[in-house]
Amino acid sequence: MSASGRDPAAHRWGRRLEAPPDVWAVFLQARRRDPHVYVGDVHAPDPEMALVLAKESYARRDPCVNLWVVRADHIYTTPPEATDVFEPATDKSYRFGGSYRQLQKVYRSSWRLSHREEDL
Amino acid sequence: MDTVPSRSASPASNGDDPELVARFAERIARGDQIEAGEWMPAEYRFEAQRLIQMHANSEIMGALPEREWIPRAPTLARKMALTAKVQDEVGHAMLLYRVAETLGRPREEMFAELVEGRARFHNVFHYPAETWADVAIIQVFVDGAAMQTQGALRSCSYAPYSRVLKRICYEEDFHIQLGLDVFRSLAEGTPRQRAMLQDALNRWWVPILQFFGMPDRVSPHTEKMLAWRLKVKSNEELRQQFLRRFVPIILEYGLEVPDPHLRWVEEEQRYVYTEPDWEELRRVGRNGGPKSAERLALRQAYYRQHAWVREALTRWRAAA
Amino acid sequence: MAGVLGTIADPALRRAFREWLLRTADDELVIGHRHSEWTGFGPDIESDVAMSSIAQEEIGHARVFYEQVAADEGGDIDGLAFGRPAEDFRHAVLLERENDGWEFAIVRLVLYESFEALRLRLLEASGQEPVAGLARALLREERYHALFGETWLSRLAQATEEGRRRVQAALDRAWPEALGLFEGTEADDLLLASGLLAQPPTSQQAEWEGAVRAVLAPCGLVPPEEAPKTGGRRGRHTADFERMLDQMTEVWRSDPEARW
Repeated sequence: MSASGRDPAAHRWGRRLEAPPDVWAVFLQARRRDPHVYVGDVHAPDPEMALVLAKESYARRDPCVNLWVVRADHIYTTPPEATDVFEPATDKSYRFGGSYRQLQKVYRSSWRLSHREEDL
Repeated sequence: MDTVPSRSASPASNGDDPELVARFAERIARGDQIEAGEWMPAEYRFEAQRLIQMHANSEIMGALPEREWIPRAPTLARKMALTAKVQDEVGHAMLLYRVAETLGRPREEMFAELVEGRARFHNVFHYPAETWADVAIIQVFVDGAAMQTQGALRSCSYAPYSRVLKRICYEEDFHIQLGLDVFRSLAEGTPRQRAMLQDALNRWWVPILQFFGMPDRVSPHTEKMLAWRLKVKSNEELRQQFLRRFVPIILEYGLEVPDPHLRWVEEEQRYVYTEPDWEELRRVGRNGGPKSAERLALRQAYYRQHAWVREALTRWRAAA
Repeated sequence: MAGVLGTIADPALRRAFREWLLRTADDELVIGHRHSEWTGFGPDIESDVAMSSIAQEEIGHARVFYEQVAADEGGDIDGLAFGRPAEDFRHAVLLERENDGWEFAIVRLVLYESFEALRLRLLEASGQEPVAGLARALLREERYHALFGETWLSRLAQATEEGRRRVQAALDRAWPEALGLFEGTEADDLLLASGLLAQPPTSQQAEWEGAVRAVLAPCGLVPPEEAPKTGGRRGRHTADFERMLDQMTEVWRSDPEARW
């Protein structure tokens, strides 16, 4: 599907990334508690080879405990032109705690003491 | 996928909607970066792809002069470090070919074009690495020169290229540190080592200055590349930047700058130097350098040797 | 780090273990050197990068073992690696052979890695510190080397008929000299008798053959029935090694006063 700005279906979501079928996206987990992060691609004929090659392509210097690979053309993407849809247009402070702080004297007392960060 | 760029002349933007082209130009002017899936003028795609492909070619061809010294590295530590350094260059080629691929050409096609001698790579990699000291000069001064261009292009308009350049610059920094270590060992070593180092510097100096290209004349092509932010600094700016950073290193170690006319002009805040032979640069750039034919032939020989391996992997993938 | 040889009181045993350590170091250096020659010339960029890492690691392993020998003698590791004549090297001839195509490199890597894993486990089991602990760490890297080799081997040997033919031919060439990995000397007898190493070369070979046949068979590969080609453990090397040593020591020899 062409990325022309004039295509009427371009505003719909569900487009696949364009990539050759032998390109694999690599996700690297630095340490046990970390999420996997996209670090780049490798060319490989199959998933096992992609993982074996990704280790030396992306984990030579950076710490790594685990790798994922997926075919790059199996990734679905929001249209790059749609970045404006992600920008909030109205006040979203109701999602953040700050606006409630002053109203909750309770916050500083027993609720907070029973929910210390280290328990989470 | 948008129009596949032709390999000869840059395609005219005639086929592109002028409103889209104008909007694109506005985005670039605002400092926006373009991602792989976005619309771009055919000419932009062509120029970006050609620029990045040449960079990728240069990394893979650039491995050749230095890799000759891996088997000869004079200590175990140097052997490992040089192997790792050249490995990084090959890794950079991998990253760059992928970026070039996002602009529409499969990696295999670009690689075949290179080994068949139909593609270009930077002038410096057409010259011989005659001694161990050449390794030090390449790692400090050739990589140092490339750093100027790569550093500037980190703010280019094509986002995938910009991201990869950040990673490349980060690793190139290690290379220059490694190079300085070898350089120092030779500069502070025996008379024979010092002489070898000076000789290597003498041979590499002009190609390194030529690497930045001719001082830019005002041409529609250069204007366009600057407007599209596929070029960020002028050739002369980058060359001057290089001289300001690297001439002091030569002097600090008591070596001679291989150009008797090179001097700093305070009033102009720049170095003047002997004008390099630009005809030589043109000739070398067209694969007419002292080592061009030999290196391309070597690449081609391995490429052919591995044809059955590629075939095997293609069949394996198809059967999966 | 203190060397292991300093902990061995009996001079004959110490000499035997020194020979064994040097043999290990030489194996790793020579195969590391051969692997490093692929840098820039691999069949694809990613494999080029991976093989280059393997080369660096093997040379790093060589360094570990040269350090053990040097610790006892007050010498330096580069003197050991670059300063000996060919007949003082104790590596197996298989490892000095020129890289004769990617299929040969992969076959050799698979055969050698299986041997190396066995050797390192023996060293780990010996309990001789610090090398027993070092062996444990080195085994981690060798696991990846074996994985890389086997991943490639299965694809090369099974994807096409030409591949199978070429890999089998490489195996035919490599096998007799691979058996040379197990060439024993008087040092092995002493090490076995003292209990320092738990397995004689003959038994190591049997275990190794079982392990590699288990990798080769699913790929449709069959080792040839041929006698071992030995000599490396006694310093008898080939013209391939003469050329390699000459090149490897070229810069080092060019200026004996120099520090590099």
